[in-house]
Amino acid sequence: MRAKFLLLPLGATVIFAGPAFATVYLTIEQAQSLLFPGATFQPVPITLTDEQVKAIERASGVHVLNKQLKAWRASTGGWFIADEVVGKHEFIPFALALDDQGAVKGVEILEYREAYGDQIRDPNWRRQFVGRQPGARLRLEKDIRNISGATLSCKHVTDGISRVLATYEIVLKQSGH
Amino acid sequence: MAGRIRWFPKRAIWSSNPIDPLTKVHLTACRTGSAFLFCLLVLMLCVVPKARADEPLFGFTYTTDLLPKGKFEVEQWSTTRFTKATGNFWLQENRTEFEYGVNDRFQLSLYTDYSSNYAFHNGPFGVTTPGEPFSYDTPGPNAHYRNTQYISTDLEAIYRLRSPYTHFLGVAVYSEARAGRDFFETENRLILQKNFRDDRLVLAMNFTYAPELRNERPGPLVLNETDMNLDYGATYRFRRNWWAGVEFLNEREFGSWTFWRNEINDAYFFGPAIHYGGRHFFATATFVEQLPWATYHSTTLPGAIVGGRDYDNDFEKYRVRIKVGWTFGGTR
Repeated sequence: MRAKFLLLPLGATVIFAGPAFATVYLTIEQAQSLLFPGATFQPVPITLTDEQVKAIERASGVHVLNKQLKAWRASTGGWFIADEVVGKHEFIPFALALDDQGAVKGVEILEYREAYGDQIRDPNWRRQFVGRQPGARLRLEKDIRNISGATLSCKHVTDGISRVLATYEIVLKQSGH
Repeated sequence: MAGRIRWFPKRAIWSSNPIDPLTKVHLTACRTGSAFLFCLLVLMLCVVPKARADEPLFGFTYTTDLLPKGKFEVEQWSTTRFTKATGNFWLQENRTEFEYGVNDRFQLSLYTDYSSNYAFHNGPFGVTTPGEPFSYDTPGPNAHYRNTQYISTDLEAIYRLRSPYTHFLGVAVYSEARAGRDFFETENRLILQKNFRDDRLVLAMNFTYAPELRNERPGPLVLNETDMNLDYGATYRFRRNWWAGVEFLNEREFGSWTFWRNEINDAYFFGPAIHYGGRHFFATATFVEQLPWATYHSTTLPGAIVGGRDYDNDFEKYRVRIKVGWTFGGTR
């Protein structure tokens, strides 16, 4: 009798758990076209050294999740970076366009896999990052407006962009590309 | 969440832990159920999709995460409490809960509790003693006690004062009113949460103050006891969607409105917690064992503490809590 009660929620788990899906808004290629219209792209494979990781983390205050940079040089000038940040349970992939001087030219959310918080796709919210300079250490609710109900996503995307700006200052700027 | 044993025989005899045929049937059912449960868990691990929700990371310890405004969630809880110092004891507590995000800082929940209990020669001195939700019953000392009952209807409110994502420390206050057969309880919590490593390491602490009123029919509701709990949880997101951690619970009961006078019982529990969070679904499980740290107080029931563990009617050796939930609304 009691065993049946115990099994109720688990049975329901199996019955009600629906198929998984992630909302893919843009592929890498689509984001490149959107952020650098008409440009061609040259991938620049870079693996961060331990020293660079430490320097980036010190400068941005954000952990480096992946030592392998996904960076492309745009033929029209500037960089296209694909990165991801921690979501509530999944990662949130995003793309960042930097101009020739390393300032933010645009931000795109590539995929969103969480139930809440997709308001970070709002163009007005993303526009706050445009013009942010290399090495800027951005803070939610100070430099970047928060979106109520999407706090974790706002915080982590803000942190992720700080990390990329630090990465430009410490690594890409010096890379000679 | 508690209630003291009100009855035990003048002549106390420690049980030799007899198992009658009915009990054997029960135990067989439990074993069969456990096997099925294990299969379901394995199945769940294999087929549950990647989805997500705003959900509890722990079985017992609350965090400051709340539903966003206008979103709602349905949760099913199953808490199994079993093993006393002697005899047989199995208490199955169930909760079906509906949560709603009034705004991004304030969440309301309405739920109902219903439980099943089997008890035989499980109490102090081997006396059959029902579990706490059934403490209004007084079976004979050698009875095979079985019961399934609706227990209470509950209203819960949580207000978040500080978010752990934008402040040094997450802070929330919680208040719950429980009304059931012959009892009324209000449970009040202070919830603290601190996050580390990109919010993948979460530490949480709850302080609970819960005075409980009960009555003997006929009669007015009077203070039965006050629970004061300190719950701690630590968990880490070790891979996408999955968290693993531990919980430490300290439960104390007082025979007054305060949590510093007339202490009756204290018990300590510790064990692992695992959590899966998907897009619109989550599952959380915690297993805790009582640690042999209980101490006698002037009003502790004689015979309640055996081997350093408190076995008064709100305590047992093991607890397993499983929560599953589904969120509605969200990403378009």
